[in-house]
Amino acid sequence: MSYEPRIVLSVEGVHAGYGHVSVVRGIDLRVAEGELVTLIGANGAGKSTLLKTIVGLVSPTAGTIHFLEQDITRMRPDRAVRAGLALVPEGRMLFGPMTVEENLELGAHARDRSDSAEDLKRVFDLFPVLQERRSQTAATLSGGEQQMLAVARALMARPRLLLLDEPSLGLAPKVIKEIFAALDRLKAEGLTILLVEQDARLALKHADRGYVMRTGSIALAGNAADLLADDDVRLIYLGAWHGEGESS
Amino acid sequence: MGRARIDIRTIVPLALLAVLVFGVPLLSADRYLLKVLTFVGVNVIIVTGMALLFGYAGQVSLGHAAFYGIGAYTSAYVVTSLGWPWLAGVAAAIVLTSVGGLLLALPSLRLKGHYLAMATLGFGEIMRVVFVEARGLTGGPDGFSGIPFPSLVGISIDSAGGNYWLIWGVVTVVLAFSANLVRSRVGRAMRALHGSESGALACGIDLTGLKVRVFVISAALAGLAGALYAHVVGFISPSTFSLHVSVLLVAMAVLGGTRSLAGPVLAAILLTTIPFADAVIPGLSRSALETIQEWQEDVYGLTIIAVMIFVPGGLAGALRRISALGRRAG
Ligand SMILES: Nc1ncnc2c1ncn2[C@@H]1O[C@H](COP(=O)(O)OP(=O)(O)O)[C@@H](O)[C@H]1O
Ligand SMILES: [Mg+2]
Repeated sequence: MSYEPRIVLSVEGVHAGYGHVSVVRGIDLRVAEGELVTLIGANGAGKSTLLKTIVGLVSPTAGTIHFLEQDITRMRPDRAVRAGLALVPEGRMLFGPMTVEENLELGAHARDRSDSAEDLKRVFDLFPVLQERRSQTAATLSGGEQQMLAVARALMARPRLLLLDEPSLGLAPKVIKEIFAALDRLKAEGLTILLVEQDARLALKHADRGYVMRTGSIALAGNAADLLADDDVRLIYLGAWHGEGESS
Repeated sequence: MGRARIDIRTIVPLALLAVLVFGVPLLSADRYLLKVLTFVGVNVIIVTGMALLFGYAGQVSLGHAAFYGIGAYTSAYVVTSLGWPWLAGVAAAIVLTSVGGLLLALPSLRLKGHYLAMATLGFGEIMRVVFVEARGLTGGPDGFSGIPFPSLVGISIDSAGGNYWLIWGVVTVVLAFSANLVRSRVGRAMRALHGSESGALACGIDLTGLKVRVFVISAALAGLAGALYAHVVGFISPSTFSLHVSVLLVAMAVLGGTRSLAGPVLAAILLTTIPFADAVIPGLSRSALETIQEWQEDVYGLTIIAVMIFVPGGLAGALRRISALGRRAG
């Protein structure tokens, strides 16, 4: 194992918060090329805030963030998208009155190019239901379809790193399976992914590595398989945070 | 690519409307009617800018009468006092109001909602004072008179019909430009911005850049309208560009509804015509008109309240419902 994969994202000693409230307190985190890394933890641990800090929606008070050797600490969100980061935000943040196709084309906005037809084909291949619904407004989609649209919209930016914030939230098991199958496929195609999840078991099953966040800092980190098998008690505890520990 | 949005259902009514609009001077030689409709056209130009700013980009400006005024005084001054050709006056008005829009937009966009409204309100008041005090340039409170008619290639457009055609010609160009803009990539981003700012940010839309651009466009359109107004009317004074007018412009945009050009344009036509109702309603008695003019503000207020309560989404919402009904029936 002499081959060292390239580091795509490197977060070092990052602190961030809202006004005087400190929410993220000294986080170190790395994602290597082609990896699917998951960040898990209880509600309010600061996971979303960390993602927002990485993509420039929240300004860190300390620490540095590097993306493919480029310093992106405090980079404006539109520049971050241009640099190759795409976030699937918590709550999806779709454009409800606009059509599926318009939502997708807005995802390609930062690329300043009109070759989005090829990308449309790719995301329709990944989520065929979106093709059927392409001229429907986003607001008329089911929850699962909306989540697929949110993922697809982020992919339209042709990211080098895809960040997802709780894509399983509020969805039926069957739909969750479909979305995670898509993530597996994206990973197999070589995309680097940072996944924030509330369902620790689910996330760890699909991830290479995991970080467990508790009240603003990393409490535990390691291989996904190790985290899953190694310390069952802890994982049941993780699952129990959301009362979903028994899901297989 | 399934995006041929211009279909026969839009073309036919638009063509009919165009024939009707441009046919008015042939059907009627009533100078008063033509003047009123010319004034309506001037307001349509400004409100189109307000529709882009408020209805699409979600920004409120209570200072747009100031841009209207800057455009009017700029063109009046360079044409009347410096002897520039009229088109150069129009260009100067557009350039100056664009720069003014940029200067106001940059600091204002750090502000949101009420604060942005207050900043633009302050700008409007400052400009009103400038219009009154800079006597050498503006003629002060007595106004600026003797502004020549618009002229193209040395031919003065001095008939009521000619001015009507000129203004509505510009209206057509402005509406075509704006309709194109809202359908373009930038326009899509503007609609996204109104839908969800966080979603727009996640898509990598440069919110600040977009807001500044729309602000500049709307300021320039107000400036263009000012330059047209000054030369068609021949006289301008500070009261034409007061806070009252800014508020009326916002009212037209609100009444018209968001994410629409047709709604605000219709609102501009309606609200501008109310005080001159006798021009379009033949046989309206003098006393009835005086009553309307006396109660003008209240009529505006009541109309807006009634629309807010009974017609959600403003006139644009009503238009959308009518066209949906038509589609179901057809
Ligand atoms: N916009 C905000 N303003 C102020 N506090 C916030 C904001 N967003 C989140 N918080 C607070 O920050 C903490 C962490 O929130 P968040 O990052 O959303 O956690 P998680 O995603 O892990 O559930 C919570 O206590 C939350 O109340
Ligand atoms: Mg969260």
